[in-house]
Amino acid sequence: MRTSPALCGVLIWAVTMASTAIGAAPKAPPAARQPLPYRLDPYPSTYRPLPRVDTLIKGATVLDGAGHRLEDADVLTHEGKIVAVGPGLKAPAGAAVIDAHGRWVTPGIVDIHSHDGDFALPLTANDLQELDVSEGSDPNTAQVWAEHSITPQDPDFSRAMAGGVTTLQVLPGSSNLFGGRGVVLKNVPAVTVQAMKFPGADYSLKMACGENPKFTYGPRLKFPTSRMGEMAGYRQAWLDARAYKAKWETYEREGGEAPARDLRMDTLAGVLDGDIRVHMHCYRAEEMADVIDMSHEMGYHVAAFHHAVEGYKIAPLLKREGICAVVWSDWWGFKMEAYDGTRLNAAILDSQGVCVTLHSDSPMIGQHLTLEAGKAMAAGRRAGIDIAPERAIQWVTLNPAKGMGLDAKIGSLEPGKDADVVIWSGDPFSAYSKADQVFLDGALVFDRADPSRQPKADFELGQLAREPRP
Amino acid sequence: MRRAVLALMGLVTTLVAPAAMAQTTAIVHAKAYVQPGAPPMLDATIVIEAGKIKAVAAGLAPPPGAEVVDAKGAIVTPGLMNGASQLGIEEVTSTDDGADRAVKAGPLGAAFDIQYALNSNSELLRVARFDGVTRAMTLPTGSASAPFTGQGAALRLSESADILDRPKAAVAVQTGGPSDAAAGGSRAAQWLILRNALDEARAYRAEKHGLGPRDQVLNHLDAEALAPVLDGTVPLAIAATRESDIRQAIALSRDEHVRVVIVGGAEAWRVADLLAAAKIPVVLDPFADLPYSLDEIGARLDNAARLRKAGVVIAFGMVDDLSSVYESYLAGETLREGAGLAIANGLTWDQALEAVTESPARIWGVADHYGSLAVGQDADVVIWHGDPLDVSGWPDAVYVRGAKASLRTRQGELGERYAPSHANDLWPSNYR
Repeated sequence: MRTSPALCGVLIWAVTMASTAIGAAPKAPPAARQPLPYRLDPYPSTYRPLPRVDTLIKGATVLDGAGHRLEDADVLTHEGKIVAVGPGLKAPAGAAVIDAHGRWVTPGIVDIHSHDGDFALPLTANDLQELDVSEGSDPNTAQVWAEHSITPQDPDFSRAMAGGVTTLQVLPGSSNLFGGRGVVLKNVPAVTVQAMKFPGADYSLKMACGENPKFTYGPRLKFPTSRMGEMAGYRQAWLDARAYKAKWETYEREGGEAPARDLRMDTLAGVLDGDIRVHMHCYRAEEMADVIDMSHEMGYHVAAFHHAVEGYKIAPLLKREGICAVVWSDWWGFKMEAYDGTRLNAAILDSQGVCVTLHSDSPMIGQHLTLEAGKAMAAGRRAGIDIAPERAIQWVTLNPAKGMGLDAKIGSLEPGKDADVVIWSGDPFSAYSKADQVFLDGALVFDRADPSRQPKADFELGQLAREPRP
Repeated sequence: MRRAVLALMGLVTTLVAPAAMAQTTAIVHAKAYVQPGAPPMLDATIVIEAGKIKAVAAGLAPPPGAEVVDAKGAIVTPGLMNGASQLGIEEVTSTDDGADRAVKAGPLGAAFDIQYALNSNSELLRVARFDGVTRAMTLPTGSASAPFTGQGAALRLSESADILDRPKAAVAVQTGGPSDAAAGGSRAAQWLILRNALDEARAYRAEKHGLGPRDQVLNHLDAEALAPVLDGTVPLAIAATRESDIRQAIALSRDEHVRVVIVGGAEAWRVADLLAAAKIPVVLDPFADLPYSLDEIGARLDNAARLRKAGVVIAFGMVDDLSSVYESYLAGETLREGAGLAIANGLTWDQALEAVTESPARIWGVADHYGSLAVGQDADVVIWHGDPLDVSGWPDAVYVRGAKASLRTRQGELGERYAPSHANDLWPSNYR
């Protein structure tokens, strides 16, 4: 599991070359070249799985994330991977055996839109002035990286873990057209962000439509003050990025003096290279349609629309484009662009084959993502759209993994995948249920019955207000 | 003249609207939660007449001529009550348009009274009712005279324009670090101003002809608004999260002989015994378990269970502070989800139901006519599909003061307009 940073870099580079080779000029064999500097990851993951024990979970109701529901089924993990799921599995020598009769088992929960760490609690009056979520100085801050705002000791992380969350994508905020890079984390307690970074995960670029950018800059009489201004802002930046990328590719081909690095352009060129995935905050249907056209115009793919409050109005378009809709179960009406929000969003999108994900965007909801799925499922059922639990669990497991390009590693309990597993006290879609045990890469990182397996943030240590008064 | 007559007729129609409830309805075969603490009544018949619960008994035959509604064994409860909301005084949270939750300038402090802003056409009311809420306490969030935020009102979420159940149901106060700037920058000032205000209101009342010789801080409007607080007919609704502020509220209640309700109370579990002894109820946010500010480091999900165990009367509400991501646009759904979370963290199901029905009714002074299915109460009744206190359930039918309420919402209509079955329609959605 230990991957040296150097190896990671080479792998990333090899993939990059493969993806850019199509239709490009003949190139020297990749192995002979150094990757372009802007394609390197100077902040590599140092994550190592916590100590783990091979585990056999027996007799549970299993929602495997791959679309199946198995009754009285077993799940076996070995060296941090899922080995088998099914009835009557035998425990290998040395494996821990957990009786899960009457309980439910799901893959680890994946939160594709979190601000944990960059919205670190507690928020003081100073924090409220200048949050670490958005860099508020310019509508294009593609050069900032959310990971450089993350406080690993944010109490939000351990609260999310108690809600079964094993993987999070932490994004910059939505004040800017280009908010900056997001990062995928393993939800393990750590002192550095690098120690949480998901090895090999793609970076993301957070972009935003609609009210937030124009209401951030409009009052300062700065561009953009309108939604059409926002579109112009994206397009100009993409044109600049294309020129930047071309300059580097010429340099790569022909040598000469290396172009000057531009951190903004590094990120946008990374998107055009296909290395960085675009996660875009948009509420309204027409805005999403415009952005889709723009992605064709400029040559990139939108991995997911986040919030997508009006996604249900353009379900066939999202389906055709292969774009995930990352939605709330029920938020609506808190601003005008959310006025047409409906609780049926997830159900309507799902029933038309769109990759649907429920996200948190809030440390409170981030503790209860299965309830988000439960509410969306109930709303559908109430309106006559029936969605089975084995499908709804994908909204918070496999589908967000797909949105982050990690579905080969996480999101379902299939042999060979990371052993991220949650044992729930009951139906995970019920408010009455809790995560009893959470495994991350096979390590038991949370156990409700064992206080020594309930990580606590440094901030919470020794807080008199949390301890019983003597 | 004709116009006047028509207008008069309109008035009459409004006035006699309850008469339409003369129609008798009998809900039969219900699993009815009639009174807090009592086991559910199986095979219950609930007779509704003239807007009231006329009778409730197991196996009772419906009166002749009554419209009979078969609950088929489903759970039937009183309509739910959100114990702290901004229903009726806010529409689109991010804009000031339609938002009347606070007044930022002018003479009004304790006297600020949100009853005059209530909007019965608010979509938020329909969405709350869609989730089984028939009553709500609405509290203002700020006045020009801190720490007072103004006077709240209890609402009934009927389909008529007449949604004001009890005006001036509380005088609200905001305390704590994040809000102390308005009082000068220290929470100590908040408590001093508050105590002085009660003092001055007392002095004002003692003077038959208005203000006495003292140099009053309070104007006569605010002084008059505090009179019912001094009488004990209206509580001070004190928003407080930190333990020290809750202790100050308890001390104030004792020293000034006024009724206090704690709103928020993230750290209330730490003083549960004192609250119980002082008979101070707590309206809390059952989701609050994060240290959003230094004032709520002790927030935890079993706050409700611990308070209740100590004998504190609790209700649930969406308290308007940083810890409340859910605003009033989800006043019903989150109330139910929050009740479920409280159950998952130690409250019993019956206690949680009480915290969203009878307890908020008692706290805000409407329990004489709402809060249970007892005979004589307003017929706020919900027939549930599944479990009302879990996210999988929903209301099949909602009655408010005896009238069956529509459960239509814009959300539902949008869902119908864009239903998958319309995916291949040739005509645009606007024709549907």
